Amino acid sequence: MLTTKLRIGIVCPYGWDTPGGVQNHVRDLAEFLIASGHTVSVLAPAIDEEKLPDYVVSAGKPISIPYNGAVARVLFGPIAYARVRQWIGAGNFDLLHLHEPAIPSISLLACWAAEGPMVGTFHAAAKRQKVIFAIGPILEPAIEKLSVRIAVSEAARLTLTDHLETDAVVVPNGIYAKRYSDGSAQEKWSGNTIGFIGRFEEPRKGLQVLVDALPIIARFAPDVKVFVAGPGDPKDFEKEIDPQLRDRFEFLGKISEQEKADFMSSVSLYVAPNTGGESFGIILAEALAGGACVVASDIPAFDSLLGSGKYGALFESENSTDLAKVVIDLLRDEEKRKKLAIEGKKRAQLFDWEVVAQQIFSIYEMAMVGGKGVTLGSDHRSWNRFLSRDEEKR
Amino acid sequence: MKALLLFGFLLLLGLWYLSFLATRLDRLHHRVETSWANLDVLLQKRAAIALEIAHSDLADPASSLLLTGAAYQARDADIKNRSMAESGLSGALGLLISDGLAHATQLEQSLLQELSALTAKIRVAISIHTDAVSSTVMVRRKFVVRTFRLAGTAPLPVTYEFESDVL
Repeated sequence: MLTTKLRIGIVCPYGWDTPGGVQNHVRDLAEFLIASGHTVSVLAPAIDEEKLPDYVVSAGKPISIPYNGAVARVLFGPIAYARVRQWIGAGNFDLLHLHEPAIPSISLLACWAAEGPMVGTFHAAAKRQKVIFAIGPILEPAIEKLSVRIAVSEAARLTLTDHLETDAVVVPNGIYAKRYSDGSAQEKWSGNTIGFIGRFEEPRKGLQVLVDALPIIARFAPDVKVFVAGPGDPKDFEKEIDPQLRDRFEFLGKISEQEKADFMSSVSLYVAPNTGGESFGIILAEALAGGACVVASDIPAFDSLLGSGKYGALFESENSTDLAKVVIDLLRDEEKRKKLAIEGKKRAQLFDWEVVAQQIFSIYEMAMVGGKGVTLGSDHRSWNRFLSRDEEKR
Repeated sequence: MKALLLFGFLLLLGLWYLSFLATRLDRLHHRVETSWANLDVLLQKRAAIALEIAHSDLADPASSLLLTGAAYQARDADIKNRSMAESGLSGALGLLISDGLAHATQLEQSLLQELSALTAKIRVAISIHTDAVSSTVMVRRKFVVRTFRLAGTAPLPVTYEFESDVL
């Protein structure tokens, strides 16, 4: 298992205190590595520096910029650069793990400043964008410093090969599968029920598709109920729903991890109607681990996570009629639901941190072969060598 | 005077760019060496396991002979012939594993497990190495790099052709 103890520096580009997939991934990875005895320091922008866990170092307050169709809370600039350099210089790391190094953020700055074994993880999956071709040549010298690139899914890998012409190793996002597997079925969520978790106010989460499909579903399954969990104000959303069907929706607000586990093992179907912008689909992995039968839109990330329908049913993205058809079929066929849920649960074990962290760690080992640890690039400049001749000291 | 200043500035900028490119290239060469060292170690390990399997009861005398031969060939091959020799070893191992799994004992099971874990690592190592080689070759093809001989005497990295489906 993980025998050598390392000093690992992880850079998270997005604000630590804003919710997001990358932040969750970094947090879980850091905690898993610490639990296996490694020394980990995470550098991340943070709004409230008081409330950080002790392994996180703040790089300053994040600024909001529009990026890739959403608002990203990132940080860059000369002060951030100085902090990044200070963190690298003081950290004495064996290895740096940079997340999303191709966006303007402290990850890119760290990639720029450091020299030595570096691993980069690319999370985003985006369509071809012209702007990337313009900034590609600027990014290239930085990105090629990474010893190993990781993509979280096949979709993210394609984005990377398209935009930056470099290949990556696919290592999926991790979940704590055990946390979800011991949920107990709750009476209140059982029956002909459909579950949805996510920030439903965001159009790309696709709750609207489910709302549009419900009239058809309700005709065939009169007692169907939809439970929507996740942060947000349901008032505006409820106005959009057909008044006759309004009482079939129940908004639960934000639910805890334990409730999530119960939720997944109670509902008949878990529906993920996302219309895009999803690179891996961590919520689907969690739903599978919780033993839910999953229905998802056929966007590339979900398609590959569900093995093209082997571990969960797929419907044509943004097509509510198709969604209704798939849901009705499954609600009527308990046998098939059970079969999918069992297959899905097996599938989810592949995303357990035990497995994923092992993969990431073996990549760390590969990146570190012959490496002498992470140093600041400026230490290697030839004029420094002329001036002080301290190269042998290192 | 102004023209001279401008010329000097451009010259400095050009020199900086050359040194920047040279550093970049040096780093890339280093990356290729690292990824190759990685792959090499893993392949050597695989050859060692192959030999162990060849000497176990799993292999009948004929496949033992085949496997031993392939393993030694893979170990001795130079970098240009390496990929062919390794593919040969993959083939020999594949033959044996497909028949051998059914009647493997405890000890041999663990050998085979070790082999499959190693194979997964090799796959990753190959993709890392291929990527390092291709980005190095791309930079070395640049006009500036060729005219100013920024690569120095470093040999052009060899692409490692590896049929991953045989693994």
